[in-house]
Amino acid sequence: MSIELLIMVGSLFFLAGIGMPIAYAIIVASMAYMLAAGSSVGLVGKTLVDGVYQSFLLLAVPLFIVAANIMNAGTISDRLLGFCIATVGRFKGGLGHVNVMASLIFSGMSGSAVADAAGIGKIIIDMMRKDGRFPAGYAAAITAASATIGPIIPPSIPMVLYALISNASIGALFLGGILPGLLMGAVLMAMNWWISHRRNFATEEPVPMRELPAVTVRAFPALMMPVILLYGIYGGVTTPTEAAAVAAAYALLLSVFFYRSLKIKTLYTILVDSARSSAAVGIVIGGALILNYIVASENIPSALAAYLVDVNLSPIVFLIAVNLLVLALGCLLDATTIILVIVPLFIPTCNMLGIDLVQFGVVIVVNCMIGLITPPYGILLFVINAVTGIPLRDIIREIVPFLIALIGALLLLILFPGIVLFLPRLFGYDG
Amino acid sequence: MKALSRLFTGFTEGVAGLMMAAIFVTFILQITVRYVVGAEWFVSITGGAIDAADFGWTVELILVLWLWTIFWGNSFVVRDCDHVTFDIIYNSVGRRTRTVFAIIGALILVAALWSSIGPTYDRMKLLRLKSSATLPVKMLPIYSIYFVFLAAVGLRYLWRAVDVARHGVDREPFAPAMEDVAHQEDVK
Repeated sequence: MSIELLIMVGSLFFLAGIGMPIAYAIIVASMAYMLAAGSSVGLVGKTLVDGVYQSFLLLAVPLFIVAANIMNAGTISDRLLGFCIATVGRFKGGLGHVNVMASLIFSGMSGSAVADAAGIGKIIIDMMRKDGRFPAGYAAAITAASATIGPIIPPSIPMVLYALISNASIGALFLGGILPGLLMGAVLMAMNWWISHRRNFATEEPVPMRELPAVTVRAFPALMMPVILLYGIYGGVTTPTEAAAVAAAYALLLSVFFYRSLKIKTLYTILVDSARSSAAVGIVIGGALILNYIVASENIPSALAAYLVDVNLSPIVFLIAVNLLVLALGCLLDATTIILVIVPLFIPTCNMLGIDLVQFGVVIVVNCMIGLITPPYGILLFVINAVTGIPLRDIIREIVPFLIALIGALLLLILFPGIVLFLPRLFGYDG
Repeated sequence: MKALSRLFTGFTEGVAGLMMAAIFVTFILQITVRYVVGAEWFVSITGGAIDAADFGWTVELILVLWLWTIFWGNSFVVRDCDHVTFDIIYNSVGRRTRTVFAIIGALILVAALWSSIGPTYDRMKLLRLKSSATLPVKMLPIYSIYFVFLAAVGLRYLWRAVDVARHGVDREPFAPAMEDVAHQEDVK
C-alpha cells in the first residue's frame, strides 16, 4: 500500500467520520491522493465527469426511481393489498403474510427497498396495528424485513450498480434474483406463521373464494409490471435501461388513464423528487468511480486476488468470509457504498476462484439488503420509525427472528449456487 | 429576500424536474423510433421522409441530461439531509462538537472544491476543440456543468459554515421552499 493511498484512506475516514456526505468525502480524499501522488487535482473532476458520461447503464437508476415514486403516489398499492388479503389473509398470522406477499409483488415493480417500506409498508402497518391485532413493533419489524425483498426481485437498483462494477450481465442478474426473492418471502412467511401460533396473533376473516377473480382483475394491470419488464429485456425488445423507461411509462399510464389517481401537480413533485434522489445517488456513484479508478491503478484488487489464490483459499471459504465482512459493514454503511466501493475489490478474486459473478452479485445484494435492517445503521428501520413513529427499540427487538431467517436464506444461496443460477441458465446464460 | 430565495428554489427545482421528464420522454422516443420508423406501414405513409438514422442523437442527449441532472441537482436541489452520510459518530457526539465538526468539514470542502477549479479547467480545456459525437456542440459546454457544481457547492458550504458558526448546528441552511407533497400523500 503506497503512502498516497494511506493519505487518501485516512482523509476519507476522517471526513466521512465528521459527517461530510460520503460523496464529497470521496471527492476531497481523491484530491488529497492526487496531490500526494504529484498529479493534478483536476484529474479528479475529469475522471468523475468522464465516468458518469460513459455509464449508460446507470440511467436505469433515475428511471426506476421515477417508476417507484409513481407507483407509490397512485392507488396501485391499495389494489395490491386487496389482492393479498384475499389470497393469504385467511392463514394464521394473516396480515403478516399479507405484508410479505405485498412486498413480493411490489418488489416486482419497484427497485428500491425504501420506496417499498415508506409506501405500501406504511399502509399495512396501520392495518396490522388496528384494534391491537399485532404489536406495533412486530408490524414494523416484519414490514422492514419483507421490504428487503424489493431489490432482489427485478427491477433492482443495487443490481444495476453491481452490473456496472462487475460487468456481469444485468439480464442474468435480474433473472437470478427471482428465486432467491421467493425464498426470502417463504422463510419470512414461515417465521411469521410460527411466531403467530406461539403468540396467538389474529387471522383475517377469509374472503370468499368466489370474490377472488374480481379482486385479481382489479389488481391485474399492476401485477403485469414485472412481466412487461422481463419480456422487454429477454424478448430482446428493449435494453435493460430502456426497460426501466418502459416500466416508468407503464406506471404512469396506469396511474393517469386506468386508475385515474394522479394529478399533474403530483407528477411534477414526483419528477423533482426523483431528480433530487437521482442526483444524490448519482454523485455517490461518481465518487465511487473515482475511487475505483485509484484503487485499480494501485493494483489492489489483483494483488488481493493473487494473494488469496496463493494461500489456497477455497471458493466457499472465500464466499463465507466476504459475506461475513459485508454483513458486518452493513451494520455501519449504506448498501450503495458497499456495492460500489467494497465489492469491486473482490471481483478479480471471484474470477480466479471460478465463482460465478451472477451468483456472487445476487448473494452480495441479498446480503446488503439484510444490512438495511441490521442495527445500529439500518436505513429501513429509520424510515419506518420516521413514517410511523413506532420506537426504534421496539422494532429492533422484534426484528431478530426475521433477521435470523433471512441470514439462513443467505446461507442457502451461498451453499447452493443453483438457486440463483437455475433461471438464468434456463434462459441461456452459460455460467 | 425570502421571496427571491423561493423563486430561485422554484426555478432550480423546475429545471431539475424538466430534465428528468426530458430523459424519460427521450427514452420513449428512442424505443418508439426503433419499432415504428422502420415499419412498412410507417414508410408507406411518410414515403421514407423520416429515417431512423436521424435519431442517433437520443442516446447522447440522455447522457448529457443525466450528467446535468446530477451536477445541477447537487448544486441547487439536493438538501443536506438527502445525502448519503456516515453519521454514527456525528450523531453520538455533543452539540458543541457537532458544530465544530460541521464547520471544519464545510471549510475543507470549500477549500478543496474551489482550489480545484483552475486545475480542472486545465484538464478539460482541450475539450473546447473536441466535438460531441452526435450533438451540435463541443464537449466543453457539456462538461461545464461541473464548474457550476464546484462553484455552487463551495458557496453552499461556505454559507453553511457561517450559518453553523452563528446559529449552531441542526439547522438546514437550504430549507426546501416546496413541501414534499408526494411524500405527504403517501403518508395519508
